[in-house]
Amino acid sequence: MASLLAQAVEDQLSLDSAILAEQFYFYTVVVMWLIHVGFMAYEGGASRRKNVMSTAMKNILTIAVVTPSFYYFGWYIYGCFQHGGPAEGHAGPAEFPGFCGATAPWSDAMGPNLQDHISAVFFLAFLLFSWTTGSIMSGAVIERIRLSAYLILTTLLGSAVWIMDAAWGWSSGGWLVTNYGFHDSIASLVVHGVAGAFALGVLLNLGPRIGKYDREGRTRTFRGHNTHLTLMGLLLIFTGFYGFYAACLVIQSTIQPGWLNIYLSPTTLGSIAFVITVGFAGGFTGGWFASKGDPFWTLSGGLAGVISVSAGADVYHPSLAYILAASGGMVAVWSGLWIERKLRVDDAVGAVAVHGVCGFYGVFLVGIFAGGYPTGVNNVESSFGGQLMGMLAFFPLAFLPGFIVSWLLKKANLLRVPPEVELEGLDMAEFQADFFPEFERVPETIVLPTGEEVESAPVLLEAFADVNGHRPGVAVGDERRLR
Amino acid sequence: MIDSFPFDEWNLEEITAFWTFGPGNSTGTYVLTVLGIAVMVGALIGWVWLENKKLSAQAALLRAAGGMPAPGGVPPGPGPSQPPLAGPSTRPGD
Repeated sequence: MASLLAQAVEDQLSLDSAILAEQFYFYTVVVMWLIHVGFMAYEGGASRRKNVMSTAMKNILTIAVVTPSFYYFGWYIYGCFQHGGPAEGHAGPAEFPGFCGATAPWSDAMGPNLQDHISAVFFLAFLLFSWTTGSIMSGAVIERIRLSAYLILTTLLGSAVWIMDAAWGWSSGGWLVTNYGFHDSIASLVVHGVAGAFALGVLLNLGPRIGKYDREGRTRTFRGHNTHLTLMGLLLIFTGFYGFYAACLVIQSTIQPGWLNIYLSPTTLGSIAFVITVGFAGGFTGGWFASKGDPFWTLSGGLAGVISVSAGADVYHPSLAYILAASGGMVAVWSGLWIERKLRVDDAVGAVAVHGVCGFYGVFLVGIFAGGYPTGVNNVESSFGGQLMGMLAFFPLAFLPGFIVSWLLKKANLLRVPPEVELEGLDMAEFQADFFPEFERVPETIVLPTGEEVESAPVLLEAFADVNGHRPGVAVGDERRLR
Repeated sequence: MIDSFPFDEWNLEEITAFWTFGPGNSTGTYVLTVLGIAVMVGALIGWVWLENKKLSAQAALLRAAGGMPAPGGVPPGPGPSQPPLAGPSTRPGD
C-alpha cells in the first residue's frame, strides 16, 4: 500500500514538473515575440518614410521563412551535429539515438504527443532564438537590399549557421564545450556575435546606400523617419530579452537548485535576472558617455551592455556585470563609429558593432573574469584559451557563408534593388503605396559631414551619378554631353 | 485519466499516431515532411521571381520617366504613386 502511494505521488510530481516546464517555455516564447515587435519598430523608425513598409516586411517574413526551415533542418542540426559533423548512424531513422533522433521532423517528438510535454516547447524556444538571430542582420541592410535576397540570407543564418555554432558551443555535448570548456551561457557569441559577423559579410557585398558617403569618403547621415518609434522598438527588444534569458535555462523543478544553464551547470533564474538588469543600466551609462548623449547610441549601448555580459550571466556578480556592461556600451559606440567612418561599411543600425563586436567581446570577458568554472558534461574548466578557440571557430563559420552567398546573389543581380528604385523608395516598387497618406510629404533631408542638414534630392542625384556614371533616366552618352 | 474520452479504446500511442498521420518515422510523417519542404522551397523561389518582376518593372518605368514624374505631376509608377522623394521631382520645374 505504502509503495503504491509513493508511486502515485512520484507520478503526480513527475507530471506536475513536466507541465510546469511546458508552461515555462511556452511563456518565454510569448515574451520573446516582443523582440520581433521591437525589431520591426526599431528598424521601421530608422528607415526613411519611403522605405518603411519594405523594412517592416523583412521582419515579418523572417518568421515565414525561418520557422519552416528551422523545423525541417535547423533543429536536426542542433541535435545531431554537436560533435562537429553529423552523428553516426543518422542515415536511417531507426538508428537515430537519443536527442538527435528526437530532432528529426518526422520523429514522435516533433508533432503532437500526449506523452511528451517538453520537446515541442523546447523547440519553440530555440525557434524564437533563430528568429532573433535572423533579425539581427535585417537592420543592417535596410533601404537597399531586395526582400527576397534578405529572406534567403536570413534562412541561411537563422536555420543553419547559428544553430550549427549552437550545436558546437551552446550545448552540453558540443565539441567546443566538452574539449575546451567554451562558456557562453546566454549566447553573447553564438547568437549575437555570429549574426554580426554574418551581417558584416553581407554588407561588404551589398555596399552602402546611395549618398551615404561623399566623394572624399566622408559620412553623411540619413534621417530616420521616426526616432521615437526606434527608441520604443529598442525598449520592446529589451523587454523580450527577459524571455530570451529565461528560455536559455533548463528547468528541473524536482532537483536542487531547480535550474541549470545550457551546459547543465547549476544556476538560478534570479541570478541571470540580476545580470540582465544591471547590464542594461551599465550599457545605457557607457553608451551615453561614449556618444556624448546621443539617444540612438545610448539605447543601443544598453543592448550592447547586456550582450557583453550574457556569456557569463550565470556566474557574474551584479557589480562586475555593471562595470563590464558599461565598458560594452562604450565599445559598441566606438566600434560602430569606426566601422562607419574608417571601414566605410554602411550598417544602418549599428548591428555589426552592437551585436557582432560586443558578442565577441562578451566571450572574451568570460576568459578573463570567469576562468576556472566547470562547463559542460565533461566539466572542463572555462579558460581564456577555450574562449579564444570558440571565437576562432565561429568567426569564419559565420562570416564566410554570409559573404559567399551574398556574393553569389550579387553576381546574379539579385542582391540589391535597382538604383532608380532605391532613390524613389522601395515601398513604391514593392507595394505601389505611400504608407502615411494622411501626412503631407515634405522634402527628405540628409545631414552632411559638416553637420549641416540639407534637402537630400540634389545630394542623392549627384551620388547616383557618381556610382552609375549617369543620372536617373539619362543615358551615359547624354550625361557626358550634359556635363 | 480524463473520463470524458474513451481511453479504454484508445491508448496514448494510438492518439498520437492519429494526430500525426501515423506514428513517428512512418510513411505518413515522411510524406508530410516532403510536402512541407516542397512548399517552403517553392515559396522562396516565388519570392525571388515575383520581386524581381516588380523591381524590373518599376525601374523601367523610372528610367523611361527620367526619374521624374511626367508633366503635370503625374507620377511614373503604377497605382497611387507619389513623386519620388529622392529626385528633384518633388518640385517639378526646379
